[in-house]
Parts: sequence; structure tokens; C-alpha cells
Amino acid sequence: MALTVLLAPLVVALLLLVVRPGRRAEVLSVVSSLVVLGGGIALAIATVHGRVVHELGGVIRVDALSAVMVIVIGTVASLATSAMGRTLPVASDAATRRRAREYGVLVQVFVAAMLGAVLVANLGVVWVMVEATTIATTFLVGHERSRRAIEASWKYAVLCSVGIALAFLGLVLLYFASAHAGAGPRAATLDWTGLRALAPHLDPKVTRLAVGLIVLGFGTKVGLAPLQSWLPDAHSQAPAPVSALMSGVLLTVALYAILRVRTIADAALGVGFLRTLLVVLGLASLVVAAVMVIVQRDLKRLLAYSSIEHMGLVALATAAGTPLAIAAALLHVMGHGLVKSVLFLGAGEVHHAESTTTIANIRSLLRRRAALGGVLAAGLVALAGLPPFSLFASEIAMFRAEVGAGLGWAAGLALALLVVVSAGLLRAGRQMLLGPGEPAADPAPHRAIAPLVGALVVCAALGLVAWPLATLLHAAAGVLS
Amino acid sequence: MTGVAGAVIDLAAVAVLVVGIAGLWRRDLRALVGLLRIQGVALALVAAATAATQHDVGLGVTAVLVVAVKAGVVPTLLGRVARSDPGARESAPLINVPSSLVLAAALVGLAVIVGAPLHALEPGRAAALAPLGLATVLAGYLLLVTRRRALSQVVGLLVIDNGVALMTFLLTAGVPLIVELGGSLDVLLVVVVLRALLGTMRSRLGNVALDELRELHD
Amino acid sequence: MTRDLVSLVQVVAVALGGLLLTGLMAKVRARAEGRVGPPISQPLREVAKRLHRESPRATAGRAQGMVPTILVVTTAVAAGLVPLAGLQTAGRSGADALVVVFLLLTGSLSLAAGGLATATAFGGMGASRAMALSALAEPALLVALAALAVPAGSLSLPVLLAHGLSAPIAMVSPSHVLAVLALLIVVIAETGRLPVDNPSTHLELTMIHEAMTLEYGGRDLALVTLGAAMRLGLLLALVGTLAVPWGLATSSSPLALAGGFVMVGVKSTVLAVVIALVEVHSAKLRLFRVPELLAAAFVVASLAVLVGVVAR
Repeated sequence: MALTVLLAPLVVALLLLVVRPGRRAEVLSVVSSLVVLGGGIALAIATVHGRVVHELGGVIRVDALSAVMVIVIGTVASLATSAMGRTLPVASDAATRRRAREYGVLVQVFVAAMLGAVLVANLGVVWVMVEATTIATTFLVGHERSRRAIEASWKYAVLCSVGIALAFLGLVLLYFASAHAGAGPRAATLDWTGLRALAPHLDPKVTRLAVGLIVLGFGTKVGLAPLQSWLPDAHSQAPAPVSALMSGVLLTVALYAILRVRTIADAALGVGFLRTLLVVLGLASLVVAAVMVIVQRDLKRLLAYSSIEHMGLVALATAAGTPLAIAAALLHVMGHGLVKSVLFLGAGEVHHAESTTTIANIRSLLRRRAALGGVLAAGLVALAGLPPFSLFASEIAMFRAEVGAGLGWAAGLALALLVVVSAGLLRAGRQMLLGPGEPAADPAPHRAIAPLVGALVVCAALGLVAWPLATLLHAAAGVLS
Repeated sequence: MTGVAGAVIDLAAVAVLVVGIAGLWRRDLRALVGLLRIQGVALALVAAATAATQHDVGLGVTAVLVVAVKAGVVPTLLGRVARSDPGARESAPLINVPSSLVLAAALVGLAVIVGAPLHALEPGRAAALAPLGLATVLAGYLLLVTRRRALSQVVGLLVIDNGVALMTFLLTAGVPLIVELGGSLDVLLVVVVLRALLGTMRSRLGNVALDELRELHD
Repeated sequence: MTRDLVSLVQVVAVALGGLLLTGLMAKVRARAEGRVGPPISQPLREVAKRLHRESPRATAGRAQGMVPTILVVTTAVAAGLVPLAGLQTAGRSGADALVVVFLLLTGSLSLAAGGLATATAFGGMGASRAMALSALAEPALLVALAALAVPAGSLSLPVLLAHGLSAPIAMVSPSHVLAVLALLIVVIAETGRLPVDNPSTHLELTMIHEAMTLEYGGRDLALVTLGAAMRLGLLLALVGTLAVPWGLATSSSPLALAGGFVMVGVKSTVLAVVIALVEVHSAKLRLFRVPELLAAAFVVASLAVLVGVVAR
């Protein structure tokens, strides 16, 4: 099953090399994403009661946490691929056709790399896969080939590669420590379960260095301050579906690696070390996001900074580390994936219709483009953490868990910053949505709006009734404790 | 680990670091790429000598891989870019060269201090040299943040990568082969991607220094 | 008694050898550039000729007159102290490396003071440049010597060299290689050779050492030239010995000592030829890049120390 999930996007990528870009190619992309989503659900059913699925001679290892991640990837990928056709120019000549093909193939490779990262057992291979996502997305970020897009993709590739190199150094040190954990050099391993078992015997000094480097390295990719400078550029320059994938799920995939390492770090060093590190990074991200959201003038950059904010919140919950905190963080990851994809795709529609994403130049959307305006309004409300959407529920649960774990002061600070960010988001929303106007002659087609509405409904439903996810999320949190 | 192989590891490990620091000194982009090639060879020597002392076939394969990728393909790819722009020099590093060299010396000291627990855990001679890898990483980082030309930044990135690789060979005689293979492939692809991006940059924007690229800001 | 004799012979050998090495380097450069060049003994003859002349001292007072003597005397004392041919020299308490460095520094300091004392534009310019270089070169030299001292645990040159003789494998240790490399760069800067200074030009934009000696004539000029040549000879011999101590006489038998003298002559000749050939193939660095070279020497020297400490 896990292998099918992993192979689906790769097979489709190969097919897209030969299929002429156009309607049929788009359908293929959506089918691959739906297969991933379906596979994720099947894996969730298989692992929800604590079973672990091993495939490919133990290279692939799926537990409930992996299944949750696969579901998030599948959901966001389905949304993103369904909107791919809207962002591409009509393939008229050979050059545009080649670029459309490159685009379709790279998106599939990107999805496959993310799946690889959450499905493998070896932290070294996780690293390889996360680096592969950087490689696949560099061209996607620079797809427009404009001066700004090229600048963004250069910064993205260089900064993330440097960050990820630090993470690799950390992994090497962890491997070194595992070779000296008393079980002999043959027991040296980067396997997550193996490291987990050896954790109490790891040398604390070396492990501290290793964990610090790993968290900083993957933290770069998560977009945690102070290593976030690439994120707003990349997310604002990429085509809308790519922004949705990057913001909605790529950040979380990097965070997944930190979640896995956390259990090892806590067993080897006690909870204090990583907790301090994550609280500092999380609060710094929230501060950066709060400041930048207030002064932001561009819609896509606004959304990018909001992603930094949400990653900061999840980092704080990870710092708390109780099963409740982790389950809430995972729910938050799901909700954020849904809402952020909806908003980025909505921003893509706005760009399509208005030829701008500058907030000051967009007015009275609710009157002029009711459907699109409605989606944006609901999305911004959800992002601001207001009910009935699941982000409200997960934020409350995360704060509760943090208070319970003795991080009340951090939770209070985060709450204050959260209010600032939400105010900034809603102010931007008011600017863009309200005001007088006549309905436009070319509203976005239902085909483009329907998936977005669907995603928002799902998000709201998750906020109201946690079933059937609650069991799965608790199983996933249980994996980590 | 005594005798010839030990001496080779010692010298080659130091060479990796010295070449990394020399990157801070040279301004000529082609010379930078040449340094990268030398560093690749030195790195492969460390891997090969370690493989010989430990009779480790996997590491031997890795050594061949390192020569092919880090001393062969990657510098050749970058060299072509450097040659297409003759006389390309680093115009003005953000920190002048003597200061960055002295800073590099300080970073080496820092690496020795930070790396002390590694030696404490394994008293062997190779682990004692591991701070050199850490220092190479820091030198590469310095190169990356103080240089304005795109190509120098790529070189900085690769110096960081070589430093990490040096640490793997010295500390653990390499990581599992599957990770090693994936890692090498990643490095190769990153270079290919960055090179292609350089090509696009040049054809779209002309030869610009990176600090002229600052349209994206808040 | 033998010790004092050895030291005396060393001083004479360094003086003669320094002058001959200067001539040899000029000859090698000339040949490599396709010229015949002056005979090797040319500097020796010039010094001998000028020693009989009077020294014109028009502008400067006593200060300038003392400079040549101080330069020659300090270099001569240093040459007598260091173990070049045999481990045992007149320095009974052990010929500390720092003492040697400070003796040489006193010489260059007096030369700079002399350059300033003449109150001419070139003299002051040369002095300021020389001191700027020296300020960078001396730390590098000290750190490089410290790196060499790490294995023996002593800065005393005989102890350090004896340790080197007893452990030949240390010759290829990274620390040793780096330290010698740093020493070589420093020696090139200290002796005013390309690519730092060009000894064969009097171009105001570039000259360093020559600018300070322009105002000397007659016997004074002879002494300054002799001092500079001794400095070159001493540094080359010292670096050669530190890099490869083999051939150093451990006993005080005349035969061993004679062998020691031959060996140190060979080492410094080889070094001189190599440096001359490097000079032919390298352009002079622009003055503002010279600090980069010396900073590089400093970094290499610090690396040598750190590697030495780490890998001990």
C-alpha cells in the first residue's frame, strides 16, 4: 500500500513526460493526488490501532504519524493539482508546451519526494528526500522566469541547501553518537526506531550538538525565524498551486523530521534542551510574522508570513510535547494545510482576474466577484483562528496543552502575538473584500471555486466534530511518546 | 591507523580545510572552481585511506563516487560557467580579505572548542581531526555570506558540503551507503539546478552581481 | 670553547653565505629570464669595495649613523645563537626562538628609524610600509614558531630541533607542513623579495626596503647591504633547518660540525634557488594585497598550532 502511494506520483510523472500538456495531463495529475489521498486513508485505517506497516525490506516504515502526513499531502496535492490548469498559459507553441510539461512533471516529483520523506524509516533518507523537495521546487518557484522569480528561486535554493547541509551534519553526529552508545560500532544507525532504542545511551554532549544542528537545519526548511528570509520570496513568486503545496504541506514535512528527532532528543537529553530551542524559534517566528503581517502590502507575501506564524505555533506545541499538544499540533497542521491552500489558490484566482496581488489595488471583491470574495473571506476568518474552523479548535487545544506543560508564559505571549497577526489579516481582508462595486463580467468558473469551497467545508467540519480523526491523531501522538 | 594511511588522512584532512580557507583569499572565479576540484581530491583521499585501514568496501565505493562527483563532474560543470565569463572576479566581498582570513582563523578555533566532545567520545586519531571538518563548514559559510557573485555562493555551498563529508569520513567512516548515494545525487542535482538557474539569470538579466538582485523585500 | 668557535664560524658563514646567496638569487633570476646576469660574487665585491669609503651623512645626525651598526650587530648575535650547523652554540641557556625573533625585529626597527631620521619623503614612506608589513609578519612568525614548538613542548631551538631529529615522522605531520609554509611566506616578506617587495627596483610606488636605504652611502651602505644579506642568509638557513633538521651535528666532533655546515649550506642554497624561481614566475602583488598574503600566513600558522594541539 505505502509503495503504491509513493509510486503513484512517480508513474504519473513518467506519463506526463509523454502526454501532451492540456486537459488530459491535468486529469492525470489530479488522479495521482487522489490516489495518494486514498492511500493515506487506507494507511490510516491500517495503522490507527498501533500497527506498523513495513515494506520494501524495511526501508519503508509507516505508523499513524506517517499516515496523517500522507493524508495532509494527498489533500493539499488534490487541491493544488485541480487548480493547475488555471495558472498555465494555453500551450500554443513548443516553448510554452515544454514549460507546461516541465511544470507538471516537477509537481509530481515534488509530491513524491514529500511522500518519501514521511514514509521512510531512516532519518538519513528523510534528509535525502527533504533535499530532493528543494531541488524539485527550485524550478517551480522560478517558473515565471521573471527577474523577481529568478531572484526568489536562487535565494530559496541556496538558503535551503545550506540549512539542510547543517541538518545532515547533525545526522552524522547522531550516527557517530549511536556508534558509541555501548552496543558496538555495528549498531550504528540512522533508523528512527533504532536511534529511539539507543537514545538513553547516547553521549549527551555530542547529541546536544547534533540535535541543535538538526533542528536549525530542518527549521530553515520549516521557515522558523531567524532562518525564514527565503520563505516570503519563494511563496510569493511561485505559481499559486506550488505556493499552496509549499505553504500548506512542505513546511510541515520538514517539521515532521523535527517531531521524529524530538523523541530521540528527549530520551537522550531530557525535555529541557529541545524545549528551550523550540520555544525560542517559535516565539521568534511569531514576532517576525506579527511585525511583517502588519506592514504587508502584497496578498501572497501576507499569506507567506501567516505560514511563518502558524509554523511558530506548531513549534511551540512541539516544545510542549505532551500527547495532547502533539495531537493538537497535527490537527492544526491539517487545518492549516487546507486553509492555506485555499487562500493561495484564491490569491491565484485574484491574480488571474485582477492582474495584481497588491492589497491596496484590490477592492470590493465581495460585490464584484462574490464567489471568490466569499472564499477569501471565509479563508481569512479561518486563518485568523476564528470559529467554526478547525484552526480555532486546534489553537485552543495547543494553548491548553502548553499551559499544562508549564509553558503558560510562552502560550500567553503567543496568544498576544496571534491577536496582532489576526488583526493584520482581517484588516487586509476588509481592504480587499468590502466596498461598493458592480459584478464583474468574467467570474471565476465553478470548476475553480468548487474545490476551494469543499476544502473550507471540510475544515469547518473538522472544527465542529473531530471524529473520525481524533483516534488517528491520538494514535499518531502516541507514536511519539 | 598508523603509518602511511594515517599520515595520508592527516595531510588530506588538513588540505581540505586549507583549500576551503584559500577560497576566502582568491577572487578569481576560475581559481575558486579549481580549489573546489583540489578539495574533492583531498576528500576522496581521506575516504580511500580510511577505507584501506578499515577494509571497508562501501567506503571504497564512496571514495570513487567522491572523486567522480566532487572532483570531476561538479567542478567541470561550474568551470564551464566560469569560463564563459572570462575575467570574472569577485568584485568586492562584504568583508575585506585580510579580515575574513583572520575571522576564518578564529572560526577554526571555535570549531576546535565545539568539536571537543567528539574527541572525548572516541579517543582515536581520526576523531581528533574532526574539528577540521567543522572548521571547513564554517569557512564555507563565511564564503557564502560574504560573497556577492552567484558562482562564489555555489562554491561556498559546496565547501560546506565537503566539510560535512569530511566529518562523516573521519568520525564514522561514512554513513550508510544508501544515504551516501542519495546525498551525492542530491549534491549533483543541486549543482545542476543552480547552474541552470545561473544560465537563466545570465540570459534574462545579464551578468549581475547578486546584491543587485534586491527587488524582493518588504 | 668549541661552542664559541662554532658560533663564531656561524656568524662568518652567515655573512659570507648571505652575500653569496643574494648574488646567487640574482643570477638564477637573470638566467631564468634569459640574461647572463652579474657574477654571484657581485654583492660581496660591492660590500668589500664600499667598506673602504667614507660615509656621507648630510642631513641626518647620529641616529642614522648608528643604524647600520645596530643592524649588523643584532643579526650577527642572532646568527651566533641559533643552531645551524650543530645543536650546541654559544647560547648556553638554550637559544630561545623568541630571543632570535626579537633580535631580528630590533634590526628592522632600527632600519625603519633610520629611514625616518633622514627626513626625506622616500625614507619615511619606506619605513611606514616596512613597519606595516612587519606588524603583520611578526605575529605570523611567532605563531608559526609556536606551532613548531608544540611537539617538543619547548621554544628553545636546540630542544625543539633535537626533538625533530628524534622523530622524523613528524616531518610530514600537517602541523609541521603548515608551519613551514607560513614561515616561508614570512621569510619572503621579511627579506623583501617578490611578490611582496621587489629588490631590483627603485620605483617609488612599490619599493619598501630600498626606500629606507636610499640615503646611505659608502661604508654605511656597505653595512646596511651586509645586514640585509645576513638577514636573508640567517632566515633561509633557519627555515631550512627547522623544516628538515637532518644533517645537524649532534656531537661536537669537527667532522660532524663540518658536515653540519655543508648541509645547512645545501639547504639554504636550495631554498634560495626555489624562491628565486618563484620570483621569476610571479608578479609583484599590489601593495594593498600584501596584507592579504601575510594574513594568509597568519591563518596558516594558526592552523598549524590548532592542528598540532588537536592531533597531539
